[in-house]
Amino acid sequence: MTRLLSSALALTKRLFKIIFSFFCSIGEIVDFFLNCVKYSITEKFYVNIFLKQFLKIGFNSLPVVGLTSIFTGMVLALQSYTGFSRFSAESAIPNVVVLSITRELAPVLAGLMVAGRSGAAIAAEIGTMKVTEQIDALKTLSTNPFNYLIIPRIFAGIISLPLLVIVGDIIGVMGGYLICVNLLNFNPTVYLQNTYNFVQFIDVFSGLVKASVFGFLITFMGCYHGFNAKGGAQGVGQSTTYSVVSSSILILLMNYIITSFFFRL
Amino acid sequence: MRKKKIIVKNIYKSFKDKVVLNKLNLDVYKSESLSIIGESGSGKSILTRCIVGLLKYDNGSISFGNLNNINTLNDKEKMNYMSKFGILFQNSALLDSLNIKENLKFSSKQDSFNKILNEVGLPNSILEKYPSELSVGMQKRVGLARAILKKPEVLILDEPTTGLDPIIARQINLLIKNLVKKNKITTITVTHDMESVYEFADYVAFLKNGIIEWYGEARKINKSRNSSMINFIKGID
Ligand SMILES: Nc1ncnc2c1ncn2[C@@H]1O[C@H](COP(=O)(O)OP(=O)(O)OP(=O)(O)O)[C@@H](O)[C@H]1O
Ligand SMILES: [Mg+2]
Repeated sequence: MTRLLSSALALTKRLFKIIFSFFCSIGEIVDFFLNCVKYSITEKFYVNIFLKQFLKIGFNSLPVVGLTSIFTGMVLALQSYTGFSRFSAESAIPNVVVLSITRELAPVLAGLMVAGRSGAAIAAEIGTMKVTEQIDALKTLSTNPFNYLIIPRIFAGIISLPLLVIVGDIIGVMGGYLICVNLLNFNPTVYLQNTYNFVQFIDVFSGLVKASVFGFLITFMGCYHGFNAKGGAQGVGQSTTYSVVSSSILILLMNYIITSFFFRL
Repeated sequence: MRKKKIIVKNIYKSFKDKVVLNKLNLDVYKSESLSIIGESGSGKSILTRCIVGLLKYDNGSISFGNLNNINTLNDKEKMNYMSKFGILFQNSALLDSLNIKENLKFSSKQDSFNKILNEVGLPNSILEKYPSELSVGMQKRVGLARAILKKPEVLILDEPTTGLDPIIARQINLLIKNLVKKNKITTITVTHDMESVYEFADYVAFLKNGIIEWYGEARKINKSRNSSMINFIKGID
């Protein structure tokens, strides 16, 4: 009886510990965020570092995002043909393709790809700087690491992701077009006309809003985990893992929240 | 007349169960050169990190001039406080995404670094190189140049000569001596190199078991009766 009681006690203790540390880390994240806001208002903005990061996150991710988008568009065309041909609704394929790409697939897939690519790189770079005392050195050289390292990256993420998604939208639609015209014998002009007439501003816009939020999540999580890396190479590795996992999960979660917001609109 | 610059009072610092600094007291005097010696892992680097404000101590106080307890400074004041120090980190801590010139620019906006590079015994050609292209000893000298260029109130050097050949080590020792004796910069040097101690230390503090076990004038170090320090200097276990 006492054994049971004590093990139950130990279990609740563990549970409380987990819950406690969960709220602690939420608190730390909020604190980190508030620091970012505070320093971006009150202190210097490093434009050249922002531009460098913009190229790194945005421009250098173009091939990955392009490839993902084109194959997604192609697959989408094929799969919807399989379904729609069963009730002779093939003419709706351009509509389905453009809607799914702009509202959903381009932002989410670009987000996940960039999280793996740039989010991990950010966490690794900042994590290495942390464990090799480079961030400490910055502090003693009158340079605020938030302004120098973190804020330019976050802004680069917020701005570059929507631009990537615009490119992804176009390439994705082109993927669908290629399949429909070359494989499924659609009329090219009609396909494009259909797409153009069907798509609405809100479709593209909601996708871009998502992209911006994802860009924030990716860079923020990369910076946060890198900045809190501990130990040596192992700690840096762990911070990259955390960064990719947490930003991917948050992307999927926020995707649902933003979708339901625009759904009600 | 010696004037106190930094007063470390009853500093306590631990990591989980491991006590590193255990109510340590130490005074650092203006325009003097203090060497901190002690076994590897005794807490020398931790102590200097506490002094410059990079690490918060658990208990006690560190005062600097009219600042009473640097643990209580807010972010802005902390930045201001840290800018008084020129620091050579144990592993140099150069920014590895920037070349040497850009690294030095953090300390001084000047365009030409010929003089300082000459002083630390490096050729000008390294300015365009990246830290990863330099040897550890060269990185150390760039780190030293970066610390000196700031013209800091207090210079903190964590093992400035470790990993250098005897000739360069001697040159560095003389350079530091020059800075301390001529320019009267307050200097705290963590070192294992007794050459450095004999060359430019005015006072020596021996750190062991979380406290300063021996403190005294550098020239009297060999006459000390503290056996653990004598053994440390002589390299006896
Ligand atoms: N982040 C940390 N977490 C836990 N323990 C730490 C941490 N940093 C340092 N320590 C411990 O504190 C002690 C003192 O470390 P410190 O780096 O100050 O040693 P040191 O005297 O500078 O040694 P060395 O001469 O080798 O540089 C070590 O025993 C180390 O194990
Ligand atoms: Mg050390």
